[in-house]
Amino acid sequence: MEIRLGSVLLAAALLSGCGWFHRGEKPQNQVVAEEPDSEPTVVEPQVNRRDVKTPHIKAKDLEVGAYFGALSIQDFGVNPVYGVRLAYHVSEDIFFEGFLATSKAGTTSLEDEFPEITVVSNAGRRFTYYDLDLGYNVLPGEIFLGRGRAFNSQLYVTVGLGDVKFAETDQFALNFGVGERLLITDWLALHLDVRDHVFETSLTGRAKNVDNIEATLGLTTFF
Amino acid sequence: MTRLLASVLLLQAICVDFAYAGERLLELVVTQPFLEMRSGPGRGYPVVYVVGRDEVVKVLYSRTDWYKVRAPQGEEGWARREELARTVLPSGEPAPIPPYPGFASHRWEFGAGYGVYNRQNLVTSYADFGLTDSIDIEGVLQQALGTLDNRVVATIGLRHTFIPEWKWFSPTAGLGTGYQHIADKVPPAPREADNQLAYVSLGARGFITRRFMWRADWRHYVVFNNLNVYEDLEEWKFGLAVFF
Repeated sequence: MEIRLGSVLLAAALLSGCGWFHRGEKPQNQVVAEEPDSEPTVVEPQVNRRDVKTPHIKAKDLEVGAYFGALSIQDFGVNPVYGVRLAYHVSEDIFFEGFLATSKAGTTSLEDEFPEITVVSNAGRRFTYYDLDLGYNVLPGEIFLGRGRAFNSQLYVTVGLGDVKFAETDQFALNFGVGERLLITDWLALHLDVRDHVFETSLTGRAKNVDNIEATLGLTTFF
Repeated sequence: MTRLLASVLLLQAICVDFAYAGERLLELVVTQPFLEMRSGPGRGYPVVYVVGRDEVVKVLYSRTDWYKVRAPQGEEGWARREELARTVLPSGEPAPIPPYPGFASHRWEFGAGYGVYNRQNLVTSYADFGLTDSIDIEGVLQQALGTLDNRVVATIGLRHTFIPEWKWFSPTAGLGTGYQHIADKVPPAPREADNQLAYVSLGARGFITRRFMWRADWRHYVVFNNLNVYEDLEEWKFGLAVFF
């Protein structure tokens, strides 16, 4: 029994002495403050940063183009007319449009009958107008050509105001129109328009409202 | 001349198309069960193709509230803005469909309208830049067409919107300066003159839909004519405008 007790005490003494061999080593699971003179280690990322740039969506709401046709100037015959147009589409229904065009009036029947009479001077026969219009697409749809071809189209109505310069005088004019926009492609459109320019004049005697109706064919591009 | 114009337009459009062909296009992943593609940019056009969930479409360009998209198989059509806004980028982020400009905080405004200036019919157009939500700088170009004379009026001024948050009706007040050019219509000796003028204004504005709004204005002008005699004129006008 004494021998067994002595063995246990000897083993305990030996085990406790094992700590001697580890003195001076730092415990692994303890945080130890860095030495003040040591450099901090920064981990440099090895992956290049990707510059992700989302492509911009281009809006093509503007429509610009030119047109030509025939303008009936009341009392002055039917004459060629040329013009340019610019439209901004606010929504699929509504658009703003501006027109600038010129024509040259012919002679009245009075002037034809009596050549010595001049109602308007030669320079005054120039008929120019600008219009600012509000348009509404009333009937969007498709036009079919043959069996396998369809073009998008829109029937629209416009109303607007502007200036007509005729007989070297500027007049306030209202205009009312109806037109068809036929989209040959998504960016190229063919226009057929009929528009009436109404203004007051006293060129042929008493003051009256005159209707000057034009029918035009135009080509526009969207950008 | 018309032929030349038509050729220029065609050439310009073709150039635009080639330029766009080289651009990198936005790709969006359909997250809803399907995305409808129509033959034209409007609700009246028929649906010509449907893209399924998890398929990727390329966005070519937009027109009003519609976006021209290309399906993976190459079919092209127009997708509605609200539907395209539900798609996501390949990274999972929401589709970068730009929101409508806030009416209270918009910066640019372009409009035109009708009015009466000194009892003459008035055709008016204007451009407006918002320095803040409530203070704008406004440039106006207008033509007054009467029986005795015609006038071209150009002004620049500041306008204050009292409560920009009021959407449907918000009162405004302004002041500014400008020039008018008068050309008498009455023979025998038509007179032409340029005069400086100043104005004060009271008005209102309101939202209609999307980027569309109305504006009404009453102005009192003081015209400084060449004889140092002041001329007092009044004007009212109503216009429609788009804002950005």
